[in-house]
Amino acid sequence: MMSVFELRSPLSAGERLEKRKLIFRDVTALLSLFAITATLAVLTFFLFNSFSKHRLELGQRWLTRAHALLAAGHPEQAVQALRSALEYEPDQRQTEIELATALAAAGHDAEAIAYFNTLLESQPGDGMINLELARLAVKQGHEAQAVESYQRALDGRWQGDGYLRRLSVRLELARYLLSRNENLKARNQLLIASGNAPDEPNIKLEIAGLLEQAQDPASAFEIYRKIALNKPERLEAIEGAGRTAADRGRALLAKQYLSKALIHPGFEAQPEAVRDAVRNTLADTVHLLALYPAPDLSARARAERIWHDVKTARERWTDCSEGTSAGDPAKFGNLRSRWAQVPADLSHLKVLTLEEDPELEQTLMTLVYDTEKLTAQTCGAPTGEDALLLKMAKAPLAVEEQ
Amino acid sequence: MSDFISQSGGPGLAQSVTSIPKGIPAAVPVASAATPRTGMDLSRIAPTREERLFLVLSIFIGVLSGLLVVSFRVAIEWIKILTLGSAPHPGQYRLLVVPTVAGLVVAALVQWFFPAARGSGVNQTKAALYIYNGYISFKTVIGKFITSALAIGAGFSLGPEDPSLQIGAGVASMVARRLNLSRQRLRLFAPIGAAAGLAAAFNAPISAILFVIEEVIGQWSAAVLGSIVLSAISSVVVARWFWGSEPMFRIPSVTLRDPRELMAYAVLGVAGGVAALIFSKALGWLRPRLRALPRWTYYWQPAVAGLMVGSIGFFGLPQVMGPGYEVMDQAMHGTFAWKLLLVLAVVKILATTLSFSSGTPGGMFAPTLFVGAMLGASIGSFEKVFFPHFTGTVGAYALVGMGVLFAAFLRAPLTSVFMVLEVSGNYSIILPVILANTIAYLIARSLQAVPIFEVFTHQDGLELPSMEEQREENPLHVEDALEPARVPIVRGSDSIETVSAAVTAAREPAFLVKLWDGSWYSMTAGELTGAAATLTPDTAIEHALKTDRTPILFPDLPLDNALHYFPRWPLLPVLNRANKGTLEGVLTLDGVLKRYQQH
Repeated sequence: MMSVFELRSPLSAGERLEKRKLIFRDVTALLSLFAITATLAVLTFFLFNSFSKHRLELGQRWLTRAHALLAAGHPEQAVQALRSALEYEPDQRQTEIELATALAAAGHDAEAIAYFNTLLESQPGDGMINLELARLAVKQGHEAQAVESYQRALDGRWQGDGYLRRLSVRLELARYLLSRNENLKARNQLLIASGNAPDEPNIKLEIAGLLEQAQDPASAFEIYRKIALNKPERLEAIEGAGRTAADRGRALLAKQYLSKALIHPGFEAQPEAVRDAVRNTLADTVHLLALYPAPDLSARARAERIWHDVKTARERWTDCSEGTSAGDPAKFGNLRSRWAQVPADLSHLKVLTLEEDPELEQTLMTLVYDTEKLTAQTCGAPTGEDALLLKMAKAPLAVEEQ
Repeated sequence: MSDFISQSGGPGLAQSVTSIPKGIPAAVPVASAATPRTGMDLSRIAPTREERLFLVLSIFIGVLSGLLVVSFRVAIEWIKILTLGSAPHPGQYRLLVVPTVAGLVVAALVQWFFPAARGSGVNQTKAALYIYNGYISFKTVIGKFITSALAIGAGFSLGPEDPSLQIGAGVASMVARRLNLSRQRLRLFAPIGAAAGLAAAFNAPISAILFVIEEVIGQWSAAVLGSIVLSAISSVVVARWFWGSEPMFRIPSVTLRDPRELMAYAVLGVAGGVAALIFSKALGWLRPRLRALPRWTYYWQPAVAGLMVGSIGFFGLPQVMGPGYEVMDQAMHGTFAWKLLLVLAVVKILATTLSFSSGTPGGMFAPTLFVGAMLGASIGSFEKVFFPHFTGTVGAYALVGMGVLFAAFLRAPLTSVFMVLEVSGNYSIILPVILANTIAYLIARSLQAVPIFEVFTHQDGLELPSMEEQREENPLHVEDALEPARVPIVRGSDSIETVSAAVTAAREPAFLVKLWDGSWYSMTAGELTGAAATLTPDTAIEHALKTDRTPILFPDLPLDNALHYFPRWPLLPVLNRANKGTLEGVLTLDGVLKRYQQH
């Protein structure tokens, strides 16, 4: 029995007692350690939670302040506020974009570009960031970079109303191209925009207006015309249709639209300059129609107009050919010889002669048109009736086209 | 030189101390492997107790350190918001007042109540490990917590990581003392707690483990590695429970499309090396001069430093106040122009030099990372402007810059690489990091021979082991003292008579016996004489061998390993690892000592 005890425990009785005490002390120590840890964990939890809530509050407070500052036009202070907001609520994408935008607005272009580029690296296809980068490139006069960024913005991702945002970007790009006199490129963008735009008159009117600036009155007219068909009638559309029709030399159509605009209830509410412009265009149109030897006129009336137009063109030719030596000698020589065949004194060229000779009518009007075109190139833009004849010369058949 | 020198000539972590050095307070309790009341030998009544407790306590230490570090960081943030406001900006008078007043309060607390809280915390932990038997008082932990939180929160340009490291080490020390562990175990707990504290502060367990091994222990010790890992992981689990598992900094993947872009990172490495040198020189110059001033100025130095740092903030750069993690994040997102980033890096060096040299408690890690991030982001932004075809992001450069300064200034090259990987959670940055860190480390080392923490220990009048020197030590191996076997070599089956004749002719004090199984026995002439007196001359010599066997040595083993065999074995055979029967040569005590003298 004794030997068995010895095998089980080589410790003496005192040592066994000491071992038990040691185990008890260790267990007590570990338990107290556990209790301390648990207490500390609870305290830390409450401390951390209260601090986290406070951080969130601070983040929101600074964000609200930043928005107010931006709205009040203080981007410099807004930058600080947005930085603080991001400090307390980090990784908020929208706030980051707002900060970069505020940096740009505050004139910190280099920082704004760097920040936008960094944001772009994490989301390369972000339309908004590319748009802002395009605006910054515009601001810095980097045309190629601006167009590239605009294009990326168009191809990029947009949240929510991406369809309308892309349209807005495209119009912004078109405006930029117009400002750079890149009318053809602007026209292409506007035609795409027009094709994609929703059936919203305001947007269509904006596109048509830009198309006018891009020297594409034909496309603009089509848009105005369609909007003008809608009820209630939009004065801007009627005026635009009239203006673009006049611009294209479609005088009869222009007269109809502009006359309609004059009696539109909203006409008088427009600024005086706009009203005057409409009236002047209408007057020019009416005058042009009065100069135009329309086929449906009586032979006499047509002959009288041709007689008048030839007289006007000859005066222009005389003034121009005597006053300048510039221009293409071949074209000038050709025109000189053609005028030489026209009697100097038109008084003997009886109206009856014209009535009886349609071919002569055509020859004379062609001479008028060629004269106005060549003198416009050589002696500068014409005024008065010459300007109307020039417009007519560009598209004689369009004058009464419906 | 400290009394604590291990038998092998260097500071061995697992070796016990034999005496307590001068300067340690008498109250320092040095635990022994005996029960406190009866003095009974614990290794007899509970032989596995310490080993088991060691692992359990490592987890407790990790959890406690994690909780304390979280509280510490929250305390810093609270103090910052309550004193400097939620968004300090230039022109606020509180930027001048708060650091000045906080400096006065901190100085008073340090001078009157917590003198051990002064400084960063890394050297204090090393001192606890190598000088004070792992002892860090509860008062020091409390003092470090309060004074560091106050100073950092009030805008001193210092970081919370080094204090966290010391807090962790202090917690470990307290826990180990509570359990009445042996002196040897007690000393091991300091690095365990240090790793836990640092891991929680950085949310980066691998970096913390590596840093403790690189900078605190200086060697891979199997005795402590498992516990360090356990405590570091426990503390990080706690920290992530509060802060989430997201890495500290997030940058997009780095794709090196053009290898030439590495040149830009190399430039960053060079710039980082130079910046680290300037930083070190500035601290090395100012700190001892301020310490040499009369003692009454110690009460004012933090306040003056606070006023100067506050002035920097007041007149335009509040970004340099405090640890600056949010500014680092902003820099990574490219919100600053490269010129401003460069200015911030330079001014941060100035602000940190002032803050740290004044004796204000707080760490060097965050300022180092800040300077690196600003420098990296500056070079990255510069590159974006002037070399737009390069694909590296500003964030990537800032991150590499952090690693660069960490490697060059703190001289922890391995930790610096893993730290960058862990704080970003981005492995794609590894190549630039390794390249830039290596360049910066080599430049800093060649221009400033003594690492900054070692400079501080010298300034403090301590002689702690240099971890960098330890890493670069070239210990001797057995092959370095190997001699050709000129002694008689006999077979085990040879008779005593034959062997005696050979040994007598050679006049050697010892000879080698090759046994039938290929093993060797080193026999002394005395043993042979004894055998000849008791056995017949024709007896085979293998029957005269003593029961113990000659140690087996191989050429690649450390030469230290052979030293303790010489009292018993004056001649040691060195064998070939591929074929144990093949003798490579022999070691003698004289030969070994001569080799050490030449080393």
